[in-house]
Amino acid sequence: MTRIDPVTAAVIQGGLENIAIEMGHKLMRMSYSSIIRESEDFGAALTDADGLQMCECKMSTPLQSGPIPGYVRNVVAVLKDRGDPICPGDVIMHNDPYGGASHGPDVAFCVPVFLDEVLIGWSVTTAHHLDIGALSPGSCGIVDAVDTYAEGLQFKAIKVYDRGQKNEAVWHILRANIRAQELVVGDMEAQIESARIGAARFLELVQQYGHDNVTAAFHELMDYSERLMRDAIRALPDGDYSATTHIDGFLDDPDPTRSRLPLVVTLKVRGDALEVDLTGTAPQIPDKPINMPLVGTVDCAVWLTIRSILLDSVTYGAIPQNSGLTRPITIVAPEGCLANPIFPAPVIARFCPGNQLADTVMKAFSQVVPQQVSGGIGNLRVVAISGLKDGNHWVHMEIMEGSYGGRYGLDGMDAVDTLYANTRNNPVEDIESHIPLRVERYELREDAMAPGRWRGGIGTIREFVFLDDAGFSLEGDGHAFKPWGFDGGADGHVASLTLVRPDGTEQALPSKVPYFKVNAGDRLVSYGPCGGGYGDAALRAPEAVAADVAEGLISADKARELFG
Amino acid sequence: MKTVGVDVGGTFTDLIYLDTATEALGIHKVETTPDDPSIGVITGIKSLCELNGVTPSDVDHVFHGTTTATNAVLEAKGASAGMITNDGFRDILHIGRHQRVEHYSIMQELPWQSRPLIKRRYRKTVGGRLVPPTGEELAPLDEAEVRAAAQELLEAGVDSVAICFLFSYLNPAHELRAQEIVQEVMPDAFVTTSASISPQFREFERFTTAALAAFVGPKVGTYIAGLEDALRSLGVKGDLRVMASNGGVATPRMVTENPALTLMSGLAAGVLGGAWVGEKCGRDRLITFDIGGTSADIGISVDGVFSETDARSTSIAGFPLLMPMLDIHTIGAGGGSIAYVDKGGAFRVGPQSAGAVPGPAAYGKGGDQPTVTDANLVLGRLEPSDFLGGDMGLDEAASDAVISKLATELGIDKHEAAEGVLTILNANMANAIRSRTVQKGIDPRGFALVAMGGAGPLHGAEVAAMLQIPEVIVPPFPGITSAMGLLTADLKYDAIRTQFQVSTACDLDRVNRDFADMEAQLTERLADDGISASNVTFSRSSDLRYVGQGYELKVPFPDGIIDAAGLAEVWTTFHKVHAAEYGHSFEASPIEVVNLRVTAIGSHSKLEKLPARSGGSLDDALLYTRDSIFREDGALKTFETSVYRRDALPVGTTFDGPAILLQKDSTTVVPPGATAQVDPSGSLIITLEGRT
Repeated sequence: MTRIDPVTAAVIQGGLENIAIEMGHKLMRMSYSSIIRESEDFGAALTDADGLQMCECKMSTPLQSGPIPGYVRNVVAVLKDRGDPICPGDVIMHNDPYGGASHGPDVAFCVPVFLDEVLIGWSVTTAHHLDIGALSPGSCGIVDAVDTYAEGLQFKAIKVYDRGQKNEAVWHILRANIRAQELVVGDMEAQIESARIGAARFLELVQQYGHDNVTAAFHELMDYSERLMRDAIRALPDGDYSATTHIDGFLDDPDPTRSRLPLVVTLKVRGDALEVDLTGTAPQIPDKPINMPLVGTVDCAVWLTIRSILLDSVTYGAIPQNSGLTRPITIVAPEGCLANPIFPAPVIARFCPGNQLADTVMKAFSQVVPQQVSGGIGNLRVVAISGLKDGNHWVHMEIMEGSYGGRYGLDGMDAVDTLYANTRNNPVEDIESHIPLRVERYELREDAMAPGRWRGGIGTIREFVFLDDAGFSLEGDGHAFKPWGFDGGADGHVASLTLVRPDGTEQALPSKVPYFKVNAGDRLVSYGPCGGGYGDAALRAPEAVAADVAEGLISADKARELFG
Repeated sequence: MKTVGVDVGGTFTDLIYLDTATEALGIHKVETTPDDPSIGVITGIKSLCELNGVTPSDVDHVFHGTTTATNAVLEAKGASAGMITNDGFRDILHIGRHQRVEHYSIMQELPWQSRPLIKRRYRKTVGGRLVPPTGEELAPLDEAEVRAAAQELLEAGVDSVAICFLFSYLNPAHELRAQEIVQEVMPDAFVTTSASISPQFREFERFTTAALAAFVGPKVGTYIAGLEDALRSLGVKGDLRVMASNGGVATPRMVTENPALTLMSGLAAGVLGGAWVGEKCGRDRLITFDIGGTSADIGISVDGVFSETDARSTSIAGFPLLMPMLDIHTIGAGGGSIAYVDKGGAFRVGPQSAGAVPGPAAYGKGGDQPTVTDANLVLGRLEPSDFLGGDMGLDEAASDAVISKLATELGIDKHEAAEGVLTILNANMANAIRSRTVQKGIDPRGFALVAMGGAGPLHGAEVAAMLQIPEVIVPPFPGITSAMGLLTADLKYDAIRTQFQVSTACDLDRVNRDFADMEAQLTERLADDGISASNVTFSRSSDLRYVGQGYELKVPFPDGIIDAAGLAEVWTTFHKVHAAEYGHSFEASPIEVVNLRVTAIGSHSKLEKLPARSGGSLDDALLYTRDSIFREDGALKTFETSVYRRDALPVGTTFDGPAILLQKDSTTVVPPGATAQVDPSGSLIITLEGRT
């Protein structure tokens, strides 16, 4: 392969990064549904012809850009099996969770890039769509899907444009099978346009610098990321480090093997390589969709956590996210466990389990690099709210934040998305202007911090009142198991969700609720989880305790009880 | 008319004097006095007047660019501020958008949590609630609770208060009533409301903008009042005008009431000055490119109109700022940017900077890292004995040593390393310009690049070549473009009304009424500032998006009473703007009017032209020749390069590169293959055609 001088490499790498940013910028701004434009639940990346990731958009969410190489590899394989050639002008749609996709609602549009009729790369956007034609409205909280067929439409390398010709049939099928189809189709069109822009820019870059130079610069970039990761792993003492946490499962199921599910991680550090072994993790649940695709969810959760701890961007700066970064890491997950399910076990609600897996990886690392981790995180919960207006569906998704555990020298971050999720909340003024909901409360919980030398982060209280008859569904976690405290710090606090009827009757809800009818005047009250404490509470600086009392985060009595 | 422009920078306070009647013009520089910048301002004005033989009492206007508000935020040294907000929403400022700054970091801090503008203990909640779509009152304001909250804040020693209620942009009544009550209880406090600061939806961003205003309000008020007093003591009778982030100037009263207006003003004056220079050369499509020691600022101007940021793209110190402002893109790339080989072995330049102290190795103040300035010196593009008009010598041996060390690390030749530093820096800057042009559907090949700042003229030609921009304009005084820009600014006030109307059912009466209200309000405001209605012009615009989208695009609106046809034209324009910006439009989709806006410009006399120079010849301007190194046809070559004194070059002179031009505030490089000409306006125009 061509060797490349460091100056040209730097110039081309800047060019690649710029392209991914432009793709994401345009997708975010053109898209319709709040899940993409406000929550930023989308991905944008370029890969080479084989699906090795060259660059990703830094505004995108890690769980969307991370799986893109897997989508591309599967698209290539499926088309090859079918004997269907990849041609200039094609746009290929893919969302197969057993073929690289993170789950069905995360649909990729892949645009092949050709130089002189040779395939040289892919420009890909992914995004979470509001609805994908599952059994109930919205694309989250489908927690009663019994298999992948119940999760909605599956697209396995479908050409929505074939040599530039729009495949109208696919679009008719989409419109006929998806709720809120105007929004969803609009978002898909925005994805296609952004991917096409990326493809055009990539071709310009190749034409300007030459394909050999771009390839060499990209391989240099992968080697660079790999070198940093190997150096970081080499600095760790060889050995095995294990940790276990639990996800809620279906708390209303009497069978404990379906309600309390262990996640087990063993880090095997060997020189500059790292194996992440998930043996011991609960078996898959064959008829409930909280199984996690190994490619697209488990791998992203593991990679993200490792780089966030070992190559923390506050210390290391922005390290390019590409396939080189993951080369030193192997993931082992026994077939048929929650982290490597067998088709057609359903997976659509894999989001929270995946983030808890990330937390378990961090817990294992806490034994090796205690000053680079946080105490246990508070996991997220996602709710889809929907209704009918004039015969058309409206669908709204809320991602309810968690919080971080305490950290060495720092308290936990309050009220924030954790680990592999990094979305944005919906402004109250946006929600109330567009859908029949009123938000009546959004603030921090009080007297709910996990004590520690550095306290855990604090979760939120968020209350919604339905102004119209509607339905909601929920996929969440953290209603049963407290985020772990570290090094003498106390465990955090669980989350809860309560339905309050206009007459005042209350119903506590589990963390997974399939489609649930509500009436105007009903109220949902969410308490977010609070992360674990770090270190012995008795060592907390008295000024820090006094400040939390002064800020009204904790009462003086409670402070005395917890911190002495 | 006699005007003074005074721009306070981090190290120097730049001044410019202009008599529009006689065309007399003078420039001056004094050291900035960080503890009280007005001392430097007054010292500077005094000596500027002496140097130009004018008495301060004859000065008609003082135009001022201040960083008081900006520094208060950047250094986290603001007021002890309080907030009064709705029951149930005490922590909007703390939760933010629940998004982390960094994807891949456990140890990061969130600015809004680790250094809050308003501490939770000073955030009080009260009863009262407004609801959309009209801001109707669902629950009345609990005035007793407001009074009690104000009393608590008073007793806690709080000296400013932001009043922030949900949906106040639709109906400010609760905020205004609460403001009255708080002012009664706290007569000495700075009290502001979120809707008066920025009446737009998205509560975190609006409340944060109001919190920023409260945070800097007392400091800005004290500074402006003190400066006005000092100016009067000096004998200046003319008006003080202060630069705002929107590219206009405002009166002291306006700035004191809404101090958030000045938060990004430092950059605005520079691009105004750059665009003014470009227009005087007869160019109407301009990219202003201002490079200092640590950063490069990029602005785009088409037909005299600057692009503005959208409501979601501006922040200061990690806090979102919801204010109309010029779209100025800043990256960490300048003369002091440090070149290094990072942990993974990659060659990088910036964003870390050696700053002014220790500065580049060439400064001989202890800098031991290779910087862009050192690379320029090693390649013979800076004159060691004549840097900044000879005020400062450069240490060639020191630059040579740090660049040689870098070259060894990289395993390449010294000159390759030096040129590599410049190429990487220039490519970073070219990417930044691309993100503001190509990525927004603007072809930079039809633009001229105005290279300014101390380091802009050193890099302008090579950056332009990377983008195939055909010409580079170097202003007469590239280093003081900001101070000059101040003299080109009009009074400029903005008004905004949130609508949430949809194109399929747009209430035209409401649109017409809102425009008329806004124009009346702005006319009154300018009349208070002594601008007669005949000197006021309005420009109407709107923030539009397809229903469902979350980002708006700015689209002009017609003047006068708008009818259905006028509205239809607006929708057509939106589709076009969308296609230009994103490469695609969705013509069948309904459009949502998010905001209507009016900008009022109150014109006053200002800088018309710079005095022309005449006489002399190219030969007289030639100081000597020296060797300098450029890349040609892929290889580095040494060229015998003419070095000229910039201020001795007469208008109309044409010469070919390579050439280096020296002047007090900058050095200009004309690379091989380029041609330069002194324009009648005094600027230098470098033409790059034929160069790749």
